[in-house]
Amino acid sequence: MMKKSFIVLFVFAILANANGFNPQMQQYINQLKTQAQKSKSNFVDFSAKRGEQIFVSEHIGKRGKNISCSSCHSTNLRQIGKNVHTGKSIKPLSPLANAKRLSRVKDVKKWLRRNFNDVYKRQGTAIEKGDVLYYINSK
Amino acid sequence: MKYIYLVVIFISGILLASDVKPINNQLALKECGSCHFAYQPGLLPKRSWKKIISNLGNHFGTDASLDKKDEQMLLSYFIKNSSDNSNQYLSRVITRYTRADKTPMRITTGVVFRRAHDELRRSTFLRKSVGNPGNCIACHRTAKRGLYNEDYVRIPR
Ligand code: HEC
Ligand code: HEC
Ligand code: HEC
Repeated sequence: MMKKSFIVLFVFAILANANGFNPQMQQYINQLKTQAQKSKSNFVDFSAKRGEQIFVSEHIGKRGKNISCSSCHSTNLRQIGKNVHTGKSIKPLSPLANAKRLSRVKDVKKWLRRNFNDVYKRQGTAIEKGDVLYYINSK
Repeated sequence: MKYIYLVVIFISGILLASDVKPINNQLALKECGSCHFAYQPGLLPKRSWKKIISNLGNHFGTDASLDKKDEQMLLSYFIKNSSDNSNQYLSRVITRYTRADKTPMRITTGVVFRRAHDELRRSTFLRKSVGNPGNCIACHRTAKRGLYNEDYVRIPR
């Protein structure tokens, strides 16, 4: 059992280097992939391009007004954003500009849950979450 | 001579004492300081914090939900340090002037806040450099230390 989990971790570590997620995040991405395959049999991989659409498109949000992910995070993910509800500035979302981003699974899950609710008035699907994480990671 | 020392210590004690106890909890600083200034628990009574922290999924029109464990930890921290469990000057004033039959959800709609700022125009709070009245730190440079004394205030342009 121990041995097996070490091998799994080792494989994750290699995968992590391949596309820049740390092992814990890669494990989360893999979970999302398994869910995605269940919901869509011809699912291949997440797409940063679809993720961009999810990120920049506007929707009637939780407050009944037009809002997008970029409303708070801007369209340049290496720049400082601004919370439209409170005016407080938000550190850049891109892991290239801010090494802490997309590094803690607990925080990523928490913010995806909150932010999808604020913009889409529902939870994101596994495919949507994977797409948007690929997009953020590519910026 | 001794007497003068005592007076100096006494006066600096008054000057340095905070109006509300500063936050000394990492979880509260992180989770309640990510969208706005992290308000000290001593700014509202415990019945308010109970209501606010048990409704984080719908927090002033935004989703600020936490997992149950973190929510419980924050709730007990905020209750333990709420205005009605605190002896600091501003906390005592807030407890005293909050009507017992009301459960305020905001600091900025309370009597104490309104009286303290009655010389300011609404437009001053809404100017770009401030944003809204809840942005204490924009004007009270020592707000993180729980110091709201008017001597440390500077309204940004
Ligand atoms: C109302 C403002 C707002 C909107 C709209 C918003 N976010 Fe956020 N988001 C935040 C704040 C605030 C944080 C936490 C900032 C911090 O940690 O400094 C955050 C954090 C995140 C994180 C966590 C990154 C990390 O690892 O620390 C992700 C991922 C994220 N947002 C994605 C999104 C996506 C996807 C959308 C659209 C569905 C979105 N956000 C819309 C305000 C917003
Ligand atoms: C996801 C973002 C977010 C998080 C996280 C968050 N808040 Fe808020 N909070 C808001 C917004 C938005 C408002 C309303 C701002 C406005 O319209 O004036 C607000 C307002 C408040 C107010 C009222 C301020 C006033 O005007 O007097 C209190 C008190 C408050 N929050 C406490 C908390 C506490 C305690 C926590 C941590 C458990 C927390 N908040 C975490 C977004 C957040
Ligand atoms: C636009 C700037 C601004 C903002 C934002 C602001 N204040 Fe103030 N505050 C002031 C000024 C200016 C005074 C002094 C008023 C006077 O002397 O007439 C003051 C006075 C006070 C006082 C009375 C201090 C004393 O010594 O009598 C308290 C308490 C206080 N503020 C708390 C807060 C809290 C808590 C917040 C956030 C929820 C806040 N303020 C937000 C500008 C601001």
